[in-house]
Amino acid sequence: MTKPFYCQLQQFLDEGLTVAVATIVQVKGSTPREVGAKMIIHPYGKHVGTVGGGCGEAEVIRAGLDVIADGQPRLVRVDLTEPISMQSMGVCGGVLDVLIERWGPEETEAQNNPVQAEV
Amino acid sequence: MMRAIAAALAASAERREAVALVSVVQATGEFLPALGRHLVVWLDERTPLGDLQLRDLQPRLLEEARTALRERRHARLDYRTEAGAITLFVEVQPQPYHLIIAGAGHVAAPLAVMASLCDFSVTVLDDRPQYANRERFPTADRVIAGPFREELRKLRGDRPTFDPNTCIVLVTRGHQYDVDLLLEVLDDPVAYIGMIGSRRRVRAVYELLERERGIPRHKFDRVHAPIGLDIGAQTPAEIAVAILAEIIAVLRKQSPERS
Repeated sequence: MTKPFYCQLQQFLDEGLTVAVATIVQVKGSTPREVGAKMIIHPYGKHVGTVGGGCGEAEVIRAGLDVIADGQPRLVRVDLTEPISMQSMGVCGGVLDVLIERWGPEETEAQNNPVQAEV
Repeated sequence: MMRAIAAALAASAERREAVALVSVVQATGEFLPALGRHLVVWLDERTPLGDLQLRDLQPRLLEEARTALRERRHARLDYRTEAGAITLFVEVQPQPYHLIIAGAGHVAAPLAVMASLCDFSVTVLDDRPQYANRERFPTADRVIAGPFREELRKLRGDRPTFDPNTCIVLVTRGHQYDVDLLLEVLDDPVAYIGMIGSRRRVRAVYELLERERGIPRHKFDRVHAPIGLDIGAQTPAEIAVAILAEIIAVLRKQSPERS
């Protein structure tokens, strides 16, 4: 019933927007969401989906905005293993690896990888 | 290219067909040019979309990606050569499970809504058009009004049996319909069959079928009846929660996904 993830992504690209897509590719321990969970980071904050919410997700959103700006894919490690206290950010206790990539309407795959030219 | 890839994935989602997106998590050495590239893989032999420039490794990747698709679980692949290493993530967008709800009564209505929310493809079937209609089931993918057994057979189509992607919930207004439909699908390798009815009633039905039709008792072992997890549900909506929770438990625990 919810709009399929890639239909939403396609719609953004059709509207001419450049977004970042974050995907959980590996987890260790207890995490708020599973491997394969995805999120679209929208340049003006209309994000779609969730990689777990809270401060961990805020970190992913910040990294996603950097990815939108420079096009460099990033693998971000979100660590929720801090000791339990009133100040601690994570509540789940695990670690997630999140792959973040830029998706834009005019994006060719080579542009996504500026490093490639020098290699 | 990214746009074509998004379009292909969106089209597969709309067609409810299984598809995998292969992304590059990390790459070194000769695999560096693959960073930021993607490959879309389908279960059939259709040409994959995109290019990871993996050359000799491509056939192996396709095989492993299709295995992941068949097993309905994401996969992480590590390839290493003398000249570099690459880590790939195979994101599987599986075909949604098909939930057939026989009976369009008070439990079926909330069950259809919640199952849609959980990404099931939902078919509702009843022989009473005043119940089996779009107004009562706005979120369902298909609503069929017609004779139970005949329509269920039609849903099976040309295939000899319903496949393991199918879940069947028998909640018709009369136990005789539930039992009739149960007999129709008893030998089909579906993922889930549940039938409403009290423990006593269900036991009596099984005994009767064993005695009068010679159906061995063990054939009923996989039927979930009384239907639903025992959460003390009382209202129709609560019973729908219990049924859907049971289906999710059966589907998730059978797959290695969460291990």
